[in-house]
Amino acid sequence: MTFAACALAVARKDLLTEWRSREVLPALAQFVLLALVVTLFAFDLDAASAARIAPGVLWLVVLFAGLVAFGRAFAAEKVQASLEALLLTPAGPVAIFAGKALAAAAVLLACEAVLVPGIGVFLGVGLPPLAVAAVLLSTAGMAALGCLFSALAVQTRARELLLPVLALPIWIPFVVYGAAALTGRAPQALANLLALDILVVVVAGLAARFVLDD
Amino acid sequence: MTRGVGGGKGFARPAQGGSPPISTRLRVAVLGSLLAFAAAAYMDFVFAPEDSLQGPVQRIFYLHVSSAIAAYACFALVLIGGILYLRREDPRPDRLARAAAPVGLLLTSVTFVMGMIWAKPIWNWDPSKTWDARLSSTAVLWAVYAGYILVRRFAPPGRTAARLAAVVGIVGFVDVPVVHFSVLWWRTLHPQPVIETGALPASMLAAWLVTLLAVLLLTGTLVATRYVTERNRELAEARRDRHELVRLESAAEVP
Repeated sequence: MTFAACALAVARKDLLTEWRSREVLPALAQFVLLALVVTLFAFDLDAASAARIAPGVLWLVVLFAGLVAFGRAFAAEKVQASLEALLLTPAGPVAIFAGKALAAAAVLLACEAVLVPGIGVFLGVGLPPLAVAAVLLSTAGMAALGCLFSALAVQTRARELLLPVLALPIWIPFVVYGAAALTGRAPQALANLLALDILVVVVAGLAARFVLDD
Repeated sequence: MTRGVGGGKGFARPAQGGSPPISTRLRVAVLGSLLAFAAAAYMDFVFAPEDSLQGPVQRIFYLHVSSAIAAYACFALVLIGGILYLRREDPRPDRLARAAAPVGLLLTSVTFVMGMIWAKPIWNWDPSKTWDARLSSTAVLWAVYAGYILVRRFAPPGRTAARLAAVVGIVGFVDVPVVHFSVLWWRTLHPQPVIETGALPASMLAAWLVTLLAVLLLTGTLVATRYVTERNRELAEARRDRHELVRLESAAEVP
């Protein structure tokens, strides 16, 4: 099997498991909507302020939903000790990692599909299309780094505790460029996001071997 | 703490030939760092002229920039140690990375505090009103290496901890310049570099160089001390495990 075939097979396995058990997505969708309900109470909202804080709310909820989604990606394998079985197959560790990251990115995308209209409904404002484009563009890079740290965190005693501590600081550049996309320098900010995606996918791909290979 | 370090009573180690024991060398390094810091204090507070615009608070610059450079040097050691460990699973580069990370974190904190003290009069600084890119990117740097130390603490000790920490050290080091340039691109208040552009007067440059030397010397001493401490801890643990094994074996022989 080629690298791509292995990765796709792992991604298909993860998404099929999710489809059959329907565990993560309903909980994540509920988490996203609850985060928006909290926003309604936590901020002093009116027509002007809602439009201003909406992109910030989008980023905050995506980051935290990402932590939950990527944390689950490897936690389930660890609980059932199936990661070792996966690693025993002829598929390389990097292909397995790529497949899991792909599936986790798809889960986060589904989350964003709830979040973006949700912000419109709850906050009463449409999001700037550039903010949505920036979040969609960041999903790939965030998934690569998030799954790398998720695979790392499940091997430690702290598990869920360690993932946010590691992933959030490393994700900051996505938020910086995402916010910059709304300041009139959109083409360059989006180009930088794309470049960042490529950089972190390569780095995570190189590092994955050492995280998974025991 | 340095007692018994250099082949002393505590550890059965081969004699070190002609060179003085490590404890003596570390004491010399500590003494050298103290002297260098005294010289740096003289250079910074007496020799260097007062800045005509900023007044005495400009003197913070010498320690601020020096500790920032030393912090980056420590994180470079974490990176190099991580790469070498992943290449050949040698415990020594891993120990070096383990020794350098907390020292780098300490130096980043020093850079932070110095910068904040400087910013208070110069920017009339109020963090809630004055956002600065360097401050934010340094906060990220701090968080990355605090995470590195947490990984070391929570991972199963030994090979797993070394492997996982090496990955965090490498990915973190790649991310730091990205964060740095991304926020600079955003907007900043932080002064632009003065040293490599030659904007710094010669007397100030001399004071800064002496301070940099003192800080680097202290950094090297701290990293070396931690390295020796970590090695002794490993030796002690190996010794304890060996004793335990012998005890178990002799217990097993009794019918």
